[in-house]
Amino acid sequence: MKKGKNKGLFQIALFAMCITILASGCGKKDKGEKEEKEFAYVAEYAQLDVKCEHIAQTVAAGDVLYMAGSSWNEETEIGTNYFYKYNMLEGTLELLPLDVSENSYINGMAAMKDGNLAIVVNNSTYDVDENGEPINWQDSMEMWKVSGEDGTMMDSIPMDGILGDENTYINSMCIDGQGNYYLCNGDSTIFVLNPQLEKLCEINSDNWINQMVSSKEGDVYVTSYGETGMEIRKIDPDTKSLGEKVEGISDGYGDRQFFTGLSKSFLVGKSGKMFSFDLSTGTEEELFDWLSVDVNSDYLSAAGELSDGRIFAVINDYSEENDKTDLVFVKKVKASEVAAKEEITYGAMWVDYNLKKNIISFNKTNDKYRIVVKEYGSDDYQTGLTQFNADLTTGKCPDIIDLSSINYSQYANMGILEDLYPYMEKSGLKKEDYLENVLHAFEVDGKLFGITPQFYVTTAMAKASNVGNVDGWTLSEMLDFVEKQDPENVFAYGNRSQIFYYCIYNNIDEFIDWETGKCSFDGEDFIRTLEFAAKFPEEPNYDDEEGISAKLRSDKILLMQGSVSSVQEYQMMNGLFGEPIAYVGFPNNERKGNLIQTTGGCMGISSKSKNKEGAWEFVKGILSQEYQDSLIQEHGGWGFPVKKSSLEKQFDLDMTQEFYEDENGNQIEQTKTTWGYDDFEMEIYAATREEVEAVRELLMSAQKLSGNVNEQMMNIITEETEAFFSGQKSAADTAGVIQNRIQIYVNENR
Amino acid sequence: MFFSVKEKLKSGKSGSNRRTRRGKRISVLYLLPSVIGVLLFFVLPFLIVVYYSVVDNPINHEFVFLDNFIMVFHNAAFQQAAKNTMMFSVTAVPLAVILSLLLAMMLESKIPFQSQFRTFFLSPMMVPIASVVLIWQVLFHYNGMMNEIIGWFGINKIDWLNSSYAQVVIVVLFLWKNLGYNMILFMAALSSIPKDIVEVAVLESASPFQIFWHIKLRYMSSTILFVTIMSLINSFKVFREIYLLKGDYPYDTMYMLQHFMNNTFGKLDYQKMSAAAIMMAIVMVIIIGILFLTENYFGKDVEG
Amino acid sequence: MREKTEYNSNNAVALERWNRSVRKKKKIKHTRQLVRITLVTMVAAWFALLFLMPIVLTITNSFMSASEISANYGQVFATTDTGGKVYIAEKVNLKFIPDMVSFSQYITVLFKSPEYLLKFWNSVILVVPIVAFQLLVAAGASFGFTRYRGRIKEIIFFVYIILMLMPYQVTLVPNYLVSDWLNILDTNWAIWLPGIFSPFAVYLLTKYMRRIPASVMEAAQIDGAGEWQIFKKVCMPLCKGAMCSIAILIFIDYWNMVEQPLILLSDPEKHPLSVFLSKINSGEIGLAFAVATIYMVPPILVFLYGEDYLVEGITYQGGIKG
Repeated sequence: MKKGKNKGLFQIALFAMCITILASGCGKKDKGEKEEKEFAYVAEYAQLDVKCEHIAQTVAAGDVLYMAGSSWNEETEIGTNYFYKYNMLEGTLELLPLDVSENSYINGMAAMKDGNLAIVVNNSTYDVDENGEPINWQDSMEMWKVSGEDGTMMDSIPMDGILGDENTYINSMCIDGQGNYYLCNGDSTIFVLNPQLEKLCEINSDNWINQMVSSKEGDVYVTSYGETGMEIRKIDPDTKSLGEKVEGISDGYGDRQFFTGLSKSFLVGKSGKMFSFDLSTGTEEELFDWLSVDVNSDYLSAAGELSDGRIFAVINDYSEENDKTDLVFVKKVKASEVAAKEEITYGAMWVDYNLKKNIISFNKTNDKYRIVVKEYGSDDYQTGLTQFNADLTTGKCPDIIDLSSINYSQYANMGILEDLYPYMEKSGLKKEDYLENVLHAFEVDGKLFGITPQFYVTTAMAKASNVGNVDGWTLSEMLDFVEKQDPENVFAYGNRSQIFYYCIYNNIDEFIDWETGKCSFDGEDFIRTLEFAAKFPEEPNYDDEEGISAKLRSDKILLMQGSVSSVQEYQMMNGLFGEPIAYVGFPNNERKGNLIQTTGGCMGISSKSKNKEGAWEFVKGILSQEYQDSLIQEHGGWGFPVKKSSLEKQFDLDMTQEFYEDENGNQIEQTKTTWGYDDFEMEIYAATREEVEAVRELLMSAQKLSGNVNEQMMNIITEETEAFFSGQKSAADTAGVIQNRIQIYVNENR
Repeated sequence: MFFSVKEKLKSGKSGSNRRTRRGKRISVLYLLPSVIGVLLFFVLPFLIVVYYSVVDNPINHEFVFLDNFIMVFHNAAFQQAAKNTMMFSVTAVPLAVILSLLLAMMLESKIPFQSQFRTFFLSPMMVPIASVVLIWQVLFHYNGMMNEIIGWFGINKIDWLNSSYAQVVIVVLFLWKNLGYNMILFMAALSSIPKDIVEVAVLESASPFQIFWHIKLRYMSSTILFVTIMSLINSFKVFREIYLLKGDYPYDTMYMLQHFMNNTFGKLDYQKMSAAAIMMAIVMVIIIGILFLTENYFGKDVEG
Repeated sequence: MREKTEYNSNNAVALERWNRSVRKKKKIKHTRQLVRITLVTMVAAWFALLFLMPIVLTITNSFMSASEISANYGQVFATTDTGGKVYIAEKVNLKFIPDMVSFSQYITVLFKSPEYLLKFWNSVILVVPIVAFQLLVAAGASFGFTRYRGRIKEIIFFVYIILMLMPYQVTLVPNYLVSDWLNILDTNWAIWLPGIFSPFAVYLLTKYMRRIPASVMEAAQIDGAGEWQIFKKVCMPLCKGAMCSIAILIFIDYWNMVEQPLILLSDPEKHPLSVFLSKINSGEIGLAFAVATIYMVPPILVFLYGEDYLVEGITYQGGIKG
């Protein structure tokens, strides 16, 4: 009886619990949605009328920001330091009379409780030799106490005496709630001083200290990279050690920047988003995405919260186009207050650096459209892809689809993508103006389903004297060649799986007859390839004293695998081999081994988009003369523009010689850059016509997009080959299993 | 049951006519919430599946009628998957029924710690999938425990998960997960067989086998059907374990219909997935129909 | 079990005679029986050992330190730099006894990383309403299916069975579409609603209810009880055991769900712990066992609490006579 009664109670309790859960779930959902609609974040730029382009150091004391910067006068060759005080609530800027001499650098600033500032300054002194060149540099550290009110120097204490060691270098400073000073040497040591500037202790961290930051609570923390990713630990001056790592901050080696918070313990800048982190509950909360407020968080250097709820951020942009420091305020506003623009969604697995810059500048300048990025792959690629597919079928498809990390041909064949040729025609962009082979690689049945602003070529190189002047080879040619030479290794630091991967990467189709569905992975060719790869070391020897360049020259290593993204890189590779090289690429039946690797975003327009015009507006931008020209870089690096005229300009630039005058008045050619690989290093001068032609030929020889290699099949192969390479199974058995598993894949996809 | 409705309707004379009609209407009310929910979350999705099966792809929506069915039917991977799934169900389900019946009878025979044993046998139901997969990976790894054990008997190493033994491994996995629950069902059924009938049979010097075959089995026919259906349902769930063991494309003997559906789903080939699903549903209707007919035929005379 | 006391009235005489005839053989039989039972017990014990292994392993391994776990099994889930699985050349063995008992896994899971408890709570939030309301809906539906059976109802019931047997892959995408249409995508409702209306419990409960002799309900009807009273006063009390055992089944089933949340809830913060457990990789395996052990607690509790009901079974075994 008693038991029965208990059960009744249990059931009632269960039921009550359900109701609460359902109700709470309900409430949560409504709240979440409302919030999304009602509020938006907007960024405002402060008008900073400062005399220097860059602000090197900032520190906030409440709503007041102190900024130290310098400017360099090209003509007089004199640098001047400035010290500003900016009231962020009122927007008033004041130049403080703090005198920082030309050879002094502010290495750390912190606000004290009384509103005054503590500043760690590095004074450099030097003697001048007979040529007027500085010699005998000497650094000395000083601690300044500066009035927060008017910037007058209150005290200046040399640090040498305090820290014990003369040459201790300090690169950052924090002050805790008790007024103790925490000084970090930029490596792994923290010095703790009491308010009277007496040394309390010296704490050593096991790992290199990434950042030191004080929390809202008044404690000082350090971040470093540990076993599972970035860790943050409290500095405990009582126990003279670092505390346990703070949990609740998701693992991962991604970059995280911590800033002192006002409402929560920290503000955290992470993967393009701003979070707040609460130490007491260990919870992280997303505030906003920097991209949605048109700020490039790659340049975020400081941030904090103001008493009016705004968040300020110091954006130190060193890029060529926009070389300055900005102070940005991010404000939460009602969504209705934000000017309505037509939203174009850009769906991507990940957004790369150049694309991000491009989107931000588009959003800042375009009055009609606004690009909203939807990143699918931030959590997990497979889940992201599933989400993306689901969005495609439910009509929530992004207007612009980023094709760089999805299977391009699969989507193109499905009719998801719009043919871009008619759009180009309408906008007066001529097909002939762009590189044919790149367009061709994107074409399916004469329709252009995607485009990229920039690309480079992934390839493999060998001495032309060894392989002839070819730009491709078949697998058996490659195997014959290597077997004949009998080298120490195929690649620099290659191992079995990498060598095998190289053989198969661009070549899977050789073993599959898609017409009949027959696979021949258990055939002789495949087994030969397996056995071939097994002849090479399982682990490369990194301790060899002989450098890669020497080994290449003596044919101990035959190939270099890599990419060519600039003429300079080509020049360097030639130098590495010491003689002309042939770009043979990945073995392939058609001898087309060089692959096009897109960069800076590779995109298509969804055929289901409701705003194709708006989407084209953005895509058109990446093809425009202006944008293509902006891709030209002095030393290349990112890739080649797809527009022919821009590519020519890039080549011209690469061939332009620069000179300087030496002491005898002779014109000497200046090096463009210095580049190297392993122990090899060379100075690169302007390219010759022949070199540029060779690069041009290489670019033209690439016919296929590299992303089209089938990952799923490669995964099956690499998974099974490990058993063979570790000596557990015979090549024939391994090939049999691969054959079996890939056969299913092939059957399924026919 | 389904097929003997007419007679039952005829014999239903209890209560006045009006009252019956009112009762009928009310009984529909009880059904309503469930029916609406099922329509919305099961029938409607299924109709969407039917729709997808007759269009060219989920983006274009071009009507192609039976093309997908023909294509999928002739697809070698689908055929392989159908064959494997059938092979698996045909071996695993009867094994699950028979072995669990044996286990149940074993526990019936008044051994000590009966209820403890019962709990132990049920325990695999509760183990989270991560532990299961890890254990199976380690057990059946090429250098794992299983190969070590067979090594003691001088048998060569077997690559369990990459050979035709793979099917054996998943049958064992399935049995291990499901025997306990089936056993419980059988124990309940065994304990409910009227003792007097058995006693009489013993008196009439029936052999234990005869008692088992003619009495016990007869009484348990509906439980057997029930266990079969439950095992069938669970046999479809074994996909999750296979998937976590070997991913999208396992060795071909482990490749199930769900792999086919899962992979085509991943590649946005909903039309293939839908066509396969519908064919599977049709086969299922037939199998369940046969099972019901069988139960009707055997179990009728003992039904309460 | 209940009949034990009831049998034996008619056959008492016959039994008495039989008893006398076998008494002589009894002694021999007794020893033989003993041997037999010992044998059977040993076989059962051996089986039990096999069945218990994973739970024991999970629990003992949860007391290893993360580094010990990684050293033991890390490679099983590790991947190479080219994306394939690492092939393990050494022997891999299950390790039952930790080198050194350590609570570090639990300390991390319970006190340091709130995300696991949060995901655990997500699991509770997702599963409990499904169990409760699926039972509620199923109780009504089963009653509807049991009372006044007609051809249409039989057809509907058959459709239920077919839908129940459909692998989830089939309806997952359409479910996504329907959820999107109903505007419940990315909310817990997208998991709750299909769960609550799943035909599974309806099938089980209907099977059970239909075994209740029609006469029981008819008797109540003749006594003037309305449908609601029959449902509440007659039907439900009889089904209590069955409901409990069905609840256990549903609970365990949904407690281990993986695919539905992955697709229907895009926000990883809403995912239940089961999703995490299915995605274990080399980086997290150090905590996997403690998380798994903690995750097993609710099913074990539910199970121990309701085991008697489970044993009573899903099929109606005639607890009531006439």
